[in-house]
Amino acid sequence: MSVAIRADRKGEYARIIPTGPFDLAHATPAAQAVKNVEALLTGCGSVDLDVAQLDRIDGAGAVLLARLLDRLETGGRRATVVEGSNPEVARLIARYRERRAELPVAHTGVMSPLARIGAVAADLPGKVNKALDFIGRFAVALAKATATPNSVDWRSLPRLIQEIGADGLVVTSAANLLIGIIVAFLGVSQLGPLGAISYVPGLVVVAHLRELGPLVTAMVVAGRSGAGLASEIATMKVSEEIDALRSMGFDPVRWLVVPRCLALVGTLPLLTWIGDLLALVGGLVVTTAFTRMTARAYLQATAEAITPNHLITGLVKTPFLAFAIGLIACGQGLLTEGGAAAVGSRTTSAVVLAIFSVIVISAVFTFFFALMGI
Amino acid sequence: MPSPRPHITVEDLTIGWGTRVLMEHVTFQVEHGMVFTILGGSGCGKSTLLRYLIGLEQPRAGNIYIEGVGEPHTYEGVPRFGVLFQSGALFSSLTLAENLALPLARWTPVRGSTARELIQAKLDLVGLGAFANHLPGEISGGMKKRAGIARALMLEADLLFFDEPSAGLDPISAAELDQLILTLSRDLSITIVVVTHELPSIFLVADQCIVLDKASKGIVAKGDPRKLRDESKVAFVHDFFTRSATATSAH
Repeated sequence: MSVAIRADRKGEYARIIPTGPFDLAHATPAAQAVKNVEALLTGCGSVDLDVAQLDRIDGAGAVLLARLLDRLETGGRRATVVEGSNPEVARLIARYRERRAELPVAHTGVMSPLARIGAVAADLPGKVNKALDFIGRFAVALAKATATPNSVDWRSLPRLIQEIGADGLVVTSAANLLIGIIVAFLGVSQLGPLGAISYVPGLVVVAHLRELGPLVTAMVVAGRSGAGLASEIATMKVSEEIDALRSMGFDPVRWLVVPRCLALVGTLPLLTWIGDLLALVGGLVVTTAFTRMTARAYLQATAEAITPNHLITGLVKTPFLAFAIGLIACGQGLLTEGGAAAVGSRTTSAVVLAIFSVIVISAVFTFFFALMGI
Repeated sequence: MPSPRPHITVEDLTIGWGTRVLMEHVTFQVEHGMVFTILGGSGCGKSTLLRYLIGLEQPRAGNIYIEGVGEPHTYEGVPRFGVLFQSGALFSSLTLAENLALPLARWTPVRGSTARELIQAKLDLVGLGAFANHLPGEISGGMKKRAGIARALMLEADLLFFDEPSAGLDPISAAELDQLILTLSRDLSITIVVVTHELPSIFLVADQCIVLDKASKGIVAKGDPRKLRDESKVAFVHDFFTRSATATSAH
């Protein structure tokens, strides 16, 4: 039997009789039937709903009929349910009629693009202030950590070094090897026609040891370990583990952030050194494979190109990059508020900010060394 | 007088992980329209049993029938029951209305104004009509649970499973939730299975119950909780209902 509502009108009185299944599976045709019969009831003063011929009804059907009665009553008409042989249906409809919202439904305001830009700009000083405050708290925590070793989770340090260093070694090494190969290829293709192949080892050394090695390694670590650290701390925050630490008198910055930053500071230079070595291997493979330069000549030229200046300028920046990654990842994690979605968005923010900061810090160091003539 | 029709039939169920057997030879029935509670001390496997009843885990042996039908417990793909998880399990990035819209969008062709009307009615039913556009993070724990119930009701299932609905709620919110359970059972004729160990809730809402015991690896008592409290000769059951610690301390 199809879903329909019949209306029997006698002057200002109407008796409406729904037939067929008024359930969730037939909610769309039932809603249409309600709409159709409503149009036929214009001018009625009194409406009876006869539910005796309903095939079946569930909550969805009851809601549609309950709202029809509500609307009729709002329009000043008397609307009642004729129970007849179906008192359960009448009770079900009555249940959905008495449970209307008493408060107005609050609507979440949608900002215009201009208002959103304004809100972001207005938030900016606060955010900078919070970042500086967090760096200050970390500096204090680092100093206090040495005075009160029990307030730092030192037991997590080996696990963190394993996760950030050993577990990340393959990815950072592969990235550096490929960058070494790319730089060597560029050198061979650009310097080869000029007969300057002998400068390729020097190009690889200068480009990689000074700039690309620390930059690429830090970017990979920021993406890999930064995301891991941020999501770990964000999850702890939303599951109230951070609050539990505070309630027990622990400073979360000292307990969680200090070991993570130290693990990064310890491992990033090592990963960079190994990466530098593999980049030089990549350069060697490409140059000897695609030119007449021998491996011995390449190694000799490489050894001559490696100067203390190149080594120091590359490696001196890695602890700063490590601190930036650690502080941003942990800071974003600690700022998390809300549920699972907030963990995801904070992790994304942490990775984006960490990678951007790594590039900015590298650029600042390059500019500084250039000014100093190093 | 014909015997009441079972809504759920559990036959000789054995559950566990790896080599560990958590429960064995668990057999019980839940009749239509009743509020049935699964009771027991912490760690006895109440919530685990619930995971088997709703099909999240596969039993080692035995069968679970809903309306006489074994797994999967679906009707034309649609789940035959709704579930309220302990935390409410609302999706935090969606508003309450959007949370409720999920099962409708997945399993029914209902869209637009009709869907909005049905969603609003369910929120009204649980007393959250004014919070349709709020995110779960903006409402209290008790409200999250009520919103979880509204979502569980969206597909008009006549069987609901509640995992510790009163856990973590203040007495007033817990009492409101108990009233809601009674309303759903009495007025909407919904069968409700509740995992709990809140005694006031049990005596207020439960028609029948089973009591699980970790040491016995199964059911130690079945029946009306009020009768079990007054008449049970099993020490653990007596201690459980009277909140004494003699037998419980031995577990």
